[in-house]
Amino acid sequence: MIEITDARKRFGSVTAVDGVSFVAKDGGITGLLGPNGAGKTTTLRMLYAVMKPDSGSVRVDDVDAVAAPQAAQARLGVLPDGFGLYPRLTAREHLDYFGALQGIDGERLARRTEELIDLLDMRAIADRRTGGFSHGERTKVGLARALVHDPQNVLLDEPTNGLDVMSTRAVRAIVRRLRDEGRCVLFSSHVMQEVSALCDSIVVIASGRVVAHGTANELRHQTGSDNLEDAFVALAGLDHGEQA
Amino acid sequence: MTPPRTARQALIVCRKELKDSLRDRRALWSIIFSVVIGPVLIGFMMNRLADRQRDADSVRIPIVGLNRAPTLVNWLNQQAGVQVVEGPSDAEKAVREQRESVVVIVPDDFADRFRESRPAPLQLISDSSRNDVRASVQRVQLLLQQYAAEISSLRLIIRGISPAAVRPLAIEQIEVSTAQQRAAQILTFIPMFIMVAGFVGGMQIATDSTAGERERGSLEPLLVNPTPRGAFVTGKWMAAALAAILSVCLTTVLCAQLTRLLSLEDMGIRLEIGPQHVGPILLAVGPMCLFTAALQAAVATLARSFKEAQTYMGVLVLAPMLPGVISSLYPLGNSAWLYGIPMLGPYTLLTGVLGGRFPDPSAFLTSAGTCLLASAILIRITTGLFRSEHIIFGR
Repeated sequence: MIEITDARKRFGSVTAVDGVSFVAKDGGITGLLGPNGAGKTTTLRMLYAVMKPDSGSVRVDDVDAVAAPQAAQARLGVLPDGFGLYPRLTAREHLDYFGALQGIDGERLARRTEELIDLLDMRAIADRRTGGFSHGERTKVGLARALVHDPQNVLLDEPTNGLDVMSTRAVRAIVRRLRDEGRCVLFSSHVMQEVSALCDSIVVIASGRVVAHGTANELRHQTGSDNLEDAFVALAGLDHGEQA
Repeated sequence: MTPPRTARQALIVCRKELKDSLRDRRALWSIIFSVVIGPVLIGFMMNRLADRQRDADSVRIPIVGLNRAPTLVNWLNQQAGVQVVEGPSDAEKAVREQRESVVVIVPDDFADRFRESRPAPLQLISDSSRNDVRASVQRVQLLLQQYAAEISSLRLIIRGISPAAVRPLAIEQIEVSTAQQRAAQILTFIPMFIMVAGFVGGMQIATDSTAGERERGSLEPLLVNPTPRGAFVTGKWMAAALAAILSVCLTTVLCAQLTRLLSLEDMGIRLEIGPQHVGPILLAVGPMCLFTAALQAAVATLARSFKEAQTYMGVLVLAPMLPGVISSLYPLGNSAWLYGIPMLGPYTLLTGVLGGRFPDPSAFLTSAGTCLLASAILIRITTGLFRSEHIIFGR
């Protein structure tokens, strides 16, 4: 479970996150929906404890991520924006490195690596260097690397961005599977169809604030529009320009 | 987090960085090139020097008009390593076209004037713009002066004057440096190349694993691991320092092979780098490798981009060359304070070890202590930078 309460973050004179609060539950997929620049990535970075909020709190499974970032990180699997692979290492070596840093090795790491290679259907690319990988293949390596330590909570920053249809489907299948295993999945996107198709709960974020929180249906009701895209545009305050 | 876990994680990071950089072919070749180029260059220059020395020892003197000065020719032929030959008719042209390095011309009136005890003319044709024949020319000049001195002594004796009367000064040159010290002076580039190898060897890992890691976008996922920032920095530093120390070993071995191959004895130089020197050399330069790796990692982390980091490295690489330059301008001797300065200390130790004057153990301790302290401070600073969101996420 991930819980963020009234978190704020400023960069110089820009307020990137201005009092964000929500809870992402175990056994559910929570979508963080917002236009580019809404504060999604900054919110996630505070959740996976590479950024400290100026104020507010972040808890991961009852661990205070601000006070004990490493204890929180041990419970998190993260696919950051832009996966940042090492082009000269193979897919398997990526899992070895991150597995070792997470404190698993030997037999356990080998077993987990095999599991993930099967789960993500990456047998053919497991022992190739990632330098020449396609976008879809890199996403798979990034996902496997995030899951190597079998984390209870999974954070994915725009995981389907730029993927083709088949790869997108594969990622969705894995996200559902993680939910069905009882994990807490938090997923950011700026694509409404993606979020409505996948998420049990949607957090709409705009200008660093949470503007709505609920299921796809609740959001439609709240805005009085049948179409989720219209609902999103209304919620995110993107319709000002159209009216003017 | 318990210390053993942090240390283990630093080792994991170190192992990965070494593996990663070993696969970076271009970087690897650039390191190998910079490690090998020094010894190869020294070998080439020393070989030329040795050849020239041999040339001067055994000198061939072409003389035009041999039969006009039979006594001189006889005397010259009796000197060790001297071979007199008939000179070319176009002497000046031959020297200008570098067919001959030196030609002596005996003019027609030589014999007459010599017999009458008047200065007998001799022409020595040489090209002073040629460095490679300077030793031969000097040898010929010296031989002719010796001959003249002998003749003048004989003439004085005949006239009842002691030759000592026209020698108001008796200059005797006494060389105090040992052969090995002289060798270390001549071969000052060997310590410099070893120092540069130590610096360049760690440079690639130090920049690629910090500025490069951030630029590739792999720093953020890396920092999501539950690992203290200090473990990341320490691991990256260890990998860079290890590569630097390996480069030093490689250069040392190459220089050792080199001194064995070159005929340094021909130049009156006794310099040997053998297995017994490897330990002291590593003791002298190893701590410097730790320091330079820490310095490179700190500077590269501060740089805004990989390119900027490389620019800084280009400037920093002057640091290991500086002690050699300074000591050739201001002879530094071996005062104790020298050992307390990061680059100067290791350099002074290194010249001592190579020159056969083994420095005091306390000098090794002072130098290593300073380097280790400076490394620890720099690692602390870099760890601080790794904690800064400003640095991690760019500016």
